[in-house]
This record gives sequence, structure tokens and C-alpha cells, in this order.
Amino acid sequence: MSSTEREFVEQWRNAAYNCYSSGHKFCREVCPVTQVTRNEVHTPTAFHANVVAMEKGLLSIEDVARDYVHCTQCGACELRCPNTLFTGDFYRFRTRTVQLVKAVRALAVDSGIHQPGWQRWVEETNRQKSEPVLGDVPVSQEHVRDWAAGLDLPVGGETILFCDCEGAFHRTSVPRAAARILQAAGVEFGLMREQWCCGGPAAEMGYAERAREFARHNVEDWRAVGAKRIIVFDPHDYISFTEDYPSYFGDEYDFEIVLFVELLAELIRTGRLALTRPVERVVTYHDACRLNKRKGIHEAPREVLRAIPGLTFKDVDHVTQWSYCSGAGGGLSIERPDLTAEISRRRVEQAGGLGVDTLVSACVWSERPLTEQGGKLDQPLEVMDLLEIVALSAGLEDTP
Amino acid sequence: MTATLVTDPVIDELVGICGPDNVFTDRSSRVNRARVPAPFPVHRWAEHVPDVVVLPTSAEQISEVVKLANRHRIPVVPRAGGTGLTDGAVPLRHGILVDVKLMNKILEIDLDDRTVTVQPGINMLKLNEELRQHGVIYPDDPASYPCSLVGGRIGTSGWSLIGGRYGHTRDLVISFQIVLPTGELIWVGDGGGRKVRKSSTGYQLKHLFMGHQGTLGIVTEAVLELVPRPEAEFAAFFSYPDYETAWRSTGALAKSGLATLAGVVLFDEWKLDYLRRDDEAYIPQPDDVRCVVATAMYGTTDEVRPGAKRLLRIGTQTGGAYLGDEISQGDWASRHDRYATPLHGRLRDGQVVPMSWHCEDASINWSKLPQVRREWHDIVARLGDRFRIFDDWGMFAYTNGAFKPWGDYLTEIDVGIWEQELDDAAWDAWVTAKRDIAAVAIAYGGSISACHGACRAGEVDLVPEELGGGWEVMKKVKRVLDPLNIMNPGKYLLDQAYEGDEP
Repeated sequence: MSSTEREFVEQWRNAAYNCYSSGHKFCREVCPVTQVTRNEVHTPTAFHANVVAMEKGLLSIEDVARDYVHCTQCGACELRCPNTLFTGDFYRFRTRTVQLVKAVRALAVDSGIHQPGWQRWVEETNRQKSEPVLGDVPVSQEHVRDWAAGLDLPVGGETILFCDCEGAFHRTSVPRAAARILQAAGVEFGLMREQWCCGGPAAEMGYAERAREFARHNVEDWRAVGAKRIIVFDPHDYISFTEDYPSYFGDEYDFEIVLFVELLAELIRTGRLALTRPVERVVTYHDACRLNKRKGIHEAPREVLRAIPGLTFKDVDHVTQWSYCSGAGGGLSIERPDLTAEISRRRVEQAGGLGVDTLVSACVWSERPLTEQGGKLDQPLEVMDLLEIVALSAGLEDTP
Repeated sequence: MTATLVTDPVIDELVGICGPDNVFTDRSSRVNRARVPAPFPVHRWAEHVPDVVVLPTSAEQISEVVKLANRHRIPVVPRAGGTGLTDGAVPLRHGILVDVKLMNKILEIDLDDRTVTVQPGINMLKLNEELRQHGVIYPDDPASYPCSLVGGRIGTSGWSLIGGRYGHTRDLVISFQIVLPTGELIWVGDGGGRKVRKSSTGYQLKHLFMGHQGTLGIVTEAVLELVPRPEAEFAAFFSYPDYETAWRSTGALAKSGLATLAGVVLFDEWKLDYLRRDDEAYIPQPDDVRCVVATAMYGTTDEVRPGAKRLLRIGTQTGGAYLGDEISQGDWASRHDRYATPLHGRLRDGQVVPMSWHCEDASINWSKLPQVRREWHDIVARLGDRFRIFDDWGMFAYTNGAFKPWGDYLTEIDVGIWEQELDDAAWDAWVTAKRDIAAVAIAYGGSISACHGACRAGEVDLVPEELGGGWEVMKKVKRVLDPLNIMNPGKYLLDQAYEGDEP
């Protein structure tokens, strides 16, 4: 066992043993990957058992690195774990499978074990400073603000709108809706001077140093323009800025991170944004994993949807949605696009069963795979972002 | 039979049968399929690792795998959820592990004759998610409801928390297809009809294969009972100042004759002490509460409402204090999640350490519960005196007989084991304690296991004593059905069936 591996086992052995010794496998049927592959080595409980096995000398990082690809880091397993549910309050204990997966992936990278897709992806990211999420769309710093063409947005200021890469280069209608909503509600904001990737995906894939490099740049850019508040509409960025960045910078990190959907609910509640135009659609809501399961945010998006006139909202309980995911998170779509597609297919099939015409998501990363699968249903299902549907109702159609 | 090394040509044959994507020889795939929730000496994990894992997608593939194993005399171990509390799904002699999780489809829902036909890799929770929209459920409700699979339920003859009302796995599985140890595919049930519940044609073969622990084949399809989704669910928890009163009250509640009564559970003082360690989550009760009895009813509103009144009357008239709606309903709703919490582990000095949970689950008549309880706690106390890694997590007794929830009780003692510190000496002492616990069960006219199976090290030694002449028949059956000792060899002392054979 290498010294890096030994250090890792020392750090995680007791946490892993808490899962192992419980023996529960309740996580299995809420895990979006396991539901598809039915393979025991892709289960959250195996991710913990492996650490125990490594300690016993039965497995090494070489043996298990590939298994840990099979995780979207949705966090359902953590919530479903009886240890979290029943001893968490008293012992301040939460099963931390997502952190463990990130740590094992980092151990793999440190040990020189790379997943080909992730390695290529991170190298490209490094070259372009943005995520190479697409084929034909130009991805580079020269194009990072193309999405804002014609919106006349300033650069810098106390409040920054951080536009995530998927939105900036692919689903540009989402950041455009975000910007127009803020403008309509009279919220002053600017863009970054040079916006790099948030670094979250690199951190998720185990490229920890690369992730820090992105984080350092972005924080410096914020400081340079005097930013105090960062508004984010992508739940993945929200995780990066509220969990990863504080761990990198400690007390020096003093930015207020505002989640757009929560701000939006407040703008509507206080009358600063008027939703006047009926939207005649029958919709259900896809609880984004990083909002609902990772952060416990499920009320605000529902409040927003219920405020839209003309809309028929067929809700599904947010706990039931613990077992749903789009399959797009945690780098799964890069290494196992087949699994992402099947997880998304199951998700839209569930939505289709409710007799809706639209699936509304609040996670820009989920929308590409969900859209692709939604179009394949017998009764095709349109996938919209919550911001897009709100912009419609606020009369903010985008006509660039 | 000794362990057989699975060779490359065998792997090639397996790939030919199951396809290249469903045969795994990597260490991770094998190591992760060597364990179940119960401690299996984790320090000797390596002894249980299979040589190769296959995830077949059809009964025919499983049949071919078993035939191949016969040709090469390689052990075969079936595995469904891997959540069993005996070692049924743990390989003792390496070999081929047949994991049925990919076979998880619902094949037919028959609302006229009230059956559902499924593959063995489906789970009760997922099945009921589909069935609910039809107004029916499959009422098999083990503690492992969210993760155990139908194949394993049959393999262990698992027991249901609401079995007093609806029956246990053996009652709820109407018929099934099984690959015999020589590879033939047969259907067994009551008689030959797949959806017939009552027949007197021939021997009762269904029961022969119920609880086989992987020694008599691999289940590949099953027809299950459907019942109307209950309109009403009622839970009532009672507290008591002492065990004697609680025990008598349990008997009175179970004998009430109420048809909707699904379960009556008696928690003793040790169990309450264990649950109270989770101070903020568990019922906040006064210190003078020493025991709790939990009851639950299921059925139509017209039945449950008046039945509940009578149940409350019996509980309180026999010395119980009703613990209120919030505690009763809330705690019953969390029944699946609460059965093992490692952080409740305590050393003698009070230090919290994560412990694994192990339970012994005898079937004991109601009249013998107090004596068995005393002797079992004494055994665990002696164990704890010698090794600090053991902790008594208390006992509970639960109605057992399906449709007649009186008489015999699933009687369980739970023991926390700090496996991280486990060594050979502690493990041997534990195996001895298990044997002693089983001996007490037999001495009081009980059975070693009510639902987990009695094939683990320790208690298995006494199976011949419990079964008497039946043990001789069991060995003959094993030998006839599995002439080469292919299926899960080493389990249930069944190697004895082959003693005297040519090596």
C-alpha cells in the first residue's frame, strides 16, 4: 500500500466502517446508477466497504478506481442512510458518500490512475479555462460572454451574476432569462471580467489541484471588481461556492452566495417581479439533486411554479424524487453516456406518466439529457428551465 | 468437495453463456460479493471471495451456468440482495457466484386471479411502487424491505413484519421456477398450477425449496400473492413498568382474535436501553418505562376502526400505558430504518464505538419466553465479560404464526460486535455463544431460527439435534438433488451427505 493510500485509509476508515457495520443497503434502490446497472460494485455501500477492504489489504486503488465512475454525486444515498436518518441528530453524523467518492477519485488521480474521458476533459478545460461542454459551439474565454449579446450588461460591481459553462455555451436561453429577470426586477448586477470554470467538475472527477486553480482565479476576479454577492442559477456552482470554495480559502472567503431560485421566489413574493402572462402548460418539476438532496432546497422552486398564472402544476413529493436523477452530474455523462441516457429516460418516463407536457428543471446541466430523452417519448415532453418559464410569464420573451 | 480453481477455459464458457459484459473476474466485483450485513469474520474476508461473478439475464443462462459447474465440479453460490442475516449468499468454497440482480422485471400483473409474476432480482419496495396504482400490494414486509430481493426472500424463507395479518414469504409466494443443482428447470408450488394456492397433488415441494439457503438451486421466476392495498393502518405502542407485565400483555394482545392484527412486538429492558441511546430520535419516555409492546393492524377502515378500540382496551387493561398516536404511528413508520444503528455501540466504560449488529432469531413458544430471555442475556453477558468488543443490544419477541399470531414467537437477541477489533479468539468465543444460544432454544422446545436460517457457524452444529430423523432425510434429499455437491457447498453441514464418497 502506498503512503498516499495508507493516509487515505486512515482518514476514511471509521466513516466507512459506520456504513459497513450497519450493513443496510437501503441506498441501493434510490441510487440512480445502481437502479440501471444492478451491479453491487456501483452501490454506495460498496464505495464504503472498499475502504474496509483496502485496510484489510484485499483491494487497492487500482482495483476500485473505475467503480467510482458510477456515481452522479446526487446524494440520495446519504439521505436514505439510516445512520443519517436516525443517529445523525444526536451524534452529528451524516454518511458522506459524495465526499468519499470525490476523495477516492482524487486518490486515483494522485496515484496516476486516470479515466480517459475525464483526463481529456480536464486537459481541455485547462487549455480553454472553460468547460468544453460542446462540439461545434466555440468554447473559450473570447466567447464566454457571447450569451449576453444585446443585453447591455456591465462588468463588475458589488453583485456578480455567475453564468455556468453549460449555460454560457450551450443553453444560452437560461442565462439570458436570468439576466432579463434581474433587470426587470431592478436588481443591479454585473458580469465577471474573465470568468473561468467554477472548478466543481474537476473537483468531482478527482483533479483537486486543477479545481483550486480555477477557484483562485475566480475569487481574485471577484475581489478585483469589488464583488460582495455572487448570484448563481446553476446548482452545481452553488455547491462549488458554498462547499468547495470555503474549504479552499477558509475564513478569508467572505462572499455572499445567492441562489437564483431563492432570490426569484423572494422577488415574486415581494411583488418586485410581476408574473402577469398566463402560461397554459401542464408541468411537473424535476428536483435537481444538488438543490433537493444535497441542500434541502425544494420549497422555493415550487413556490415559483405555483405563482405562475395559467400553469397546471402536477407535483411529485420531494422525498419520492430522492430516487430520480438526470444522470448528468458527477462526470458520469463523460465516462458513461449510456448510463446518463438511461437514467434520463427513466426520469422523463416517470414525468410522462403524470400526463404533463413540460418537465421543468432548475438545473441547467440536467436539461440536455432530459430534453433528448423527452423528445423520444410517444407523447414528447418539453424540458424547460424554471427561469425560462418565469421569463415567459413575466413577459420577458427573448427576441435578440 | 474441495475448492476448485476456476480456469480460463471456464471463464470463456461463462462468457459464452452470459455474454462478455456480465462476467466479472476483477477483485472488486468478487470481494464485494463476499459479504452480507451480519459479521462473517471480517478479518477472514479473503476466505469467502468467489473466483468469478456472473450476472445472468435469463433462467436458461442460469441453467447453463449450473450445468457447466457440474461438468467442472465448481461450487455455485446464488446471491440476490445480499442482505441476509445468515451466510446463505456468502461463498464458503469460492467458485462461481450467480448474482440475479439484473433479473428484476415484473412479467405479469393478474388482477383477476390476484397474482404478480416477477423475476427474482426485484425488491418489495420497487414492486409495490408499481402495484399501488392498481390498488393492490405484495404484503411481504421484512425489516430489509427497501433492499432485499424476492430471490433471497425465498432462499431464506424470510419473515414479514406484518405476517400475522398476511402471512410470510412461504405463504405469499404461490409458486416459483427453480434451476435444480444439476441444471434442470422446474416449477414448484402447491400442485402443478402456477397460480393455485391450494392443492393436494403430490408432495408439498414448494416448502422443500423454501429456505434452501442456496443449497438446492437458484430461483429464476416467482408468482406472488396480491392483496388489496389496506385502506387503514393502525399502530398502538404500550409501555410497561416490568417485563413480566409486558410479556403477559403481549400474550393477551396476540390472542385477541382480531383478524386485522398484523404484528405484536415485545421489546425488553435491554432493547429499550439500546434504543434510548439515540436520545433525540427515540421515544422520549419516563425512566420507569422498562418495556414496550408495539402492535399494528391493517385492513379496511370498517374493520380496523372498531378493532383498534378493542386492541387499545386489551393493551391498557393488561397493564400497558398507551404511548399516544404520534409515537405509535411515527415509530411504526420508521420500523425499517431503526433496526441497526452502529453508533449505539458501547464499550463497558460507555465509550461509543461503531459496532456491527448480529442477531440470533429462534422460534420460541410464548410460555417459554421469560426463561429463554434470562438464559440468553446470561450467555451474552459472559461473552461481554471476556471480550469488550461485544455489547448486549437487547431482545425482542414478535408474533410469528401467520394468520394465528399466538403460540410461537420470533425471538431475537441482538448483539453489537466491534468488528474492527475482531480476532480469532473473539470470533471463536462468539461462535460458541451462538451455539449456546441455539442450545437454549432447543432445550425449551423451540427452533434455532424463525426466519434467518440456521446455517451459520455455531448454531448450525445443532441442526441435526433439532431435526432428529428429519436431518437424515434432509441429507438424502440434498444428495439426490445435488449428486456432486455443487450448490453452495459447506452450508448447513450438508457435506455430511457425501461422506464416504470417492474424493
